[in-house]
Amino acid sequence: MIDSAAAPLDQDDPTTVTADVESTTRPAAPSTRTSFAHASEAEMARILDFYQVRWEYEPHTFPIVWNLEGSVVESFSPDFWLPDLDLYLEMTTLRQKLVRKKNRKLRRVLELYPDLRVKLFYARDFRALMLKFGKLALVDELSGTPGQVVPVRPAAANDDDETDGEREVDR
Amino acid sequence: MTLETIDLAADVGEVLLTEEAIQSKIAELGARISADYGDRRLTLVSVLKGSLPFMADLMRAISIPVRIDLMEVSSYGGTSTESSGLVRILKDLSASIEGEEVLIVEDIIDTGLTLNYLLRYLRGKNPRSLRVCTLLDKPARRLVDIPVDYLGFTIPDQFVVGYGLDYGEYYRNLRFVGVLRPEVYSGGA
Repeated sequence: MIDSAAAPLDQDDPTTVTADVESTTRPAAPSTRTSFAHASEAEMARILDFYQVRWEYEPHTFPIVWNLEGSVVESFSPDFWLPDLDLYLEMTTLRQKLVRKKNRKLRRVLELYPDLRVKLFYARDFRALMLKFGKLALVDELSGTPGQVVPVRPAAANDDDETDGEREVDR
Repeated sequence: MTLETIDLAADVGEVLLTEEAIQSKIAELGARISADYGDRRLTLVSVLKGSLPFMADLMRAISIPVRIDLMEVSSYGGTSTESSGLVRILKDLSASIEGEEVLIVEDIIDTGLTLNYLLRYLRGKNPRSLRVCTLLDKPARRLVDIPVDYLGFTIPDQFVVGYGLDYGEYYRNLRFVGVLRPEVYSGGA
């Protein structure tokens, strides 16, 4: 596992969504803002905050494929870590092709790190959550490509540097 | 959804749990709870509003003396709570539970977020024991693992209403639990 604080993740990527949601595991820093890759992630952070469940956004990266030289060529960074529950939460609200890719990654992660607890949160789960909270009308805005609010990444930037596939908008 | 468009009978596509099945299960739960707690003093804590019918029936199925209390917590997305951004206790317990045997009575556990918050809150009041009874469990939606001591039914991953469960505050008065037709809510909440 790699601590993402030292990993070359795209926290400063200008294409990510910045929201007024604070990671509740961080020390008190009122101005702290987290950059989310997807609007649904920002909504999930607000829900976790509401119920006072501590979270961190993409704090850890798990290598899953190495080349012959031993360098990591593919890795997986779950969207949220809930430290009090020792649970990782991965949001998947895009197209089926990307869901399959994420399922494959998750299977690989669990093969390599069998003690890891990861909950994959599919689009239907997010939709059900919004229905439960009476926010179904927001689903179309927050999920799928509209929620992405990011341009298509350059072809070279894929699994090598990022991990969860959601930033690769498949139009 | 408006009052004019609600049709209690037609909006439910499938009856998941009949009134008879619910009452039979509650009788079973009541007997188990009575046997487990024996002569210990038990306080049932119900979480408004959805648990109201279950609480009313369960307490009458329990044969030992019980006290009851009611709580209500704000729900995410509720208009009265958006300003704070944090869950709030809208109605707290009316009596101390310190040193008491407490059983939380819930209608349904899905994500577990609300109950996780409530358990932490109530543990802070130092009850002698704190256990959970839920009529329905929807494990497919679980985010927070909650230990359930008394369970009525495990249900599939469908949006259910009735017997206290609502959509837009309606359908609570159905005597059964049914699956709401998707077209009822597909137009937006």
